[in-house]
Amino acid sequence: MRMSEPPAIAPSHRDFWFSERLRRTRLRFPLSLGVAVAATFGAMLIGLAIIASTGTDLSDAIDAFWDGMAGSTFTIGASINRAISLAFVGLGFIFANRANLTNVGGEGQLAVGGMFATAMALHGAASLPLGLSFAVPLLAGTLAGSVWGGFAGALKGWRGTNEVISTLLLTFIALPLVYWSVESFHLLRKPLSDVSSLPESPEIPDATKLPLLFPGDRTSPLHIGLLLAIIATVVVAVVLSRSPFGLKLRAVGLNQVAARRAGIRSGSLMTVAMAISGGLGGLAGAIMILGQQFYLTNDFSSGYGFDGLVVGLLSRGSALGVVLGALLFGFLRSGSIDMEITAHVPAAVVLICQGLIVVAIAGSAILVEKRGRQ
Amino acid sequence: MTEGQLAVFLGSGLRLAMPIIFAGTGEMLSERAGVLNLSLDGMMLIAAFCAALISWATGSPVAGLAVALVVSIAVAYVQAVLSVTLRANQLVVGIGFNILALGLTTFLYREIFGPLSRDTIPGFSLLDFSWLAAIPIIGPALSQQTALTYVGLLLAAATWALLNFTSFGLAVRAVGEDPRAADQAGINVRRVRYLGVLYAGALAGLGGAFMSIADSNTFTEGMTRGAGYLAITAVIFGGWDPWRTLAACLLFGFATALQFLVPAMNLDIPVALLLMLPYVLALFAIAGFVGKSKQPAALTLPFERGG
Repeated sequence: MRMSEPPAIAPSHRDFWFSERLRRTRLRFPLSLGVAVAATFGAMLIGLAIIASTGTDLSDAIDAFWDGMAGSTFTIGASINRAISLAFVGLGFIFANRANLTNVGGEGQLAVGGMFATAMALHGAASLPLGLSFAVPLLAGTLAGSVWGGFAGALKGWRGTNEVISTLLLTFIALPLVYWSVESFHLLRKPLSDVSSLPESPEIPDATKLPLLFPGDRTSPLHIGLLLAIIATVVVAVVLSRSPFGLKLRAVGLNQVAARRAGIRSGSLMTVAMAISGGLGGLAGAIMILGQQFYLTNDFSSGYGFDGLVVGLLSRGSALGVVLGALLFGFLRSGSIDMEITAHVPAAVVLICQGLIVVAIAGSAILVEKRGRQ
Repeated sequence: MTEGQLAVFLGSGLRLAMPIIFAGTGEMLSERAGVLNLSLDGMMLIAAFCAALISWATGSPVAGLAVALVVSIAVAYVQAVLSVTLRANQLVVGIGFNILALGLTTFLYREIFGPLSRDTIPGFSLLDFSWLAAIPIIGPALSQQTALTYVGLLLAAATWALLNFTSFGLAVRAVGEDPRAADQAGINVRRVRYLGVLYAGALAGLGGAFMSIADSNTFTEGMTRGAGYLAITAVIFGGWDPWRTLAACLLFGFATALQFLVPAMNLDIPVALLLMLPYVLALFAIAGFVGKSKQPAALTLPFERGG
């Protein structure tokens, strides 16, 4: 719907017009690609300035960063593998966000996904034929994540519980669960007879590991998770923008009461939306275990869920945006690890950049909204 | 359980509860005014770092505490600008702040102290009230504390009084329930909300400083370990009521302390399950399955004049 220009009279009337406009549109966060790009570049410039301030030679730091990020077939593959997990969490975020639900529990959904995938890989899936040996653990992780997310959705749909708080709480419940599972011998911890007695699971059987994308090339760690990520991106994009289900999500997101009058059952729709969102997070966790880590540790999720949340925020609801953001953060994470090892610049610089990006985008939302609607 | 074990348990429970009591008390007031500071954890972390740094550099924990207080109020001011004036999504801003705080403190810690620093930091010394210690069981727990512990308990009581018996407290409650009506009654909504956020920032600062210079006398990367989230959880579990919030903070502190008591008593209860207990309780509370608590009607909703 096009709005006419606001009447240019007293400022109070202008403010009034803006507030009316805002109330009608229900502010959603990431609003303009321009702001996202500007925030990313601004934050990276600040990151460079911080690195320079430590007295490290900038070119050394950048060299190390580049090596870790894309210096060889191996590092490129490793960076993309990182991006795959982030993309799944990010896709989950924008899926729920279409219904105006903010799923900040990606970390917890990823954690339970990895845990259940490990359990399934260690107990039973290895002997299954036809690729089911890794498909079943992937499915188990997805289901675990969708239970974790769907629970928050059901609480929101039927009890009105704020999903931001419930998904956060569920994350803080999921992380100790992983800790418990790798700490207890009767759960997933590897037997003491092993050389080390670290609280971690045994390695998963070879048959349950994700097949490599280029089995002939020993230097490339790329696995078939990449194909799954591409499929998921297309499916999410199509469902959100072209399907009746996507339209219903949007209707509930824009106005719950009106959607209900139109015959949409918002409670179950929210549950389903959050279950799918959480399922994508759980799949991310399963892929991390089956694709690169191969055994469960206490802190295996190590912030991937929160990074994926940032990716989802940055993408302003676009599946393609999620892919770009996931690649950016995947490569950044790889680069920062090498930079810390070779150039002795703390990897925390990347955290600073990420934090700045989120704050800048959230803070500028209202300015973007004002301009975008004029 | 021996009496000695019980005394140690009570003492450590109180010590572990203190940062949450500080932060939760401030956060409770801010939420009553309608602003949720998910950045509480970040504020605490930054304050813990500043307190440790200044105390280490000057040798004076009081100077460390003062600087931590100033810095966390400054951080809270930025949070207030974003969530009150710019009406940004309070939850997203908070998460951004926490990532930023973790990055900044980790980076500065490694640059200044080095990655594996084991330096002890001058902290507050324990007050020894022998008359208090004479009380059986709770005496030793209450007496082996720093002055900050008593400050925190006093602040919790003072916040209750502030909220219930002053005109500012009335304004806070009005602004959190119905900002438009409060505005029409002549209350400056923006000012009250700013003060609420700054109050939360100040108390989170004290809580963070407590961690590094009153409890452990050291700084470690990400040392708050989600204490800020726990404080927010306590506010929810406490139903936005001062005394119930205090009780929830104490409960969470003792629940955390159980992880030391349980192995000492040779009980076979997984520590991990104790760690998640506060969050499970809070989840039940916000879902409305435990007790009857109603959140402030305008919580997390930005307000703009006119209309």
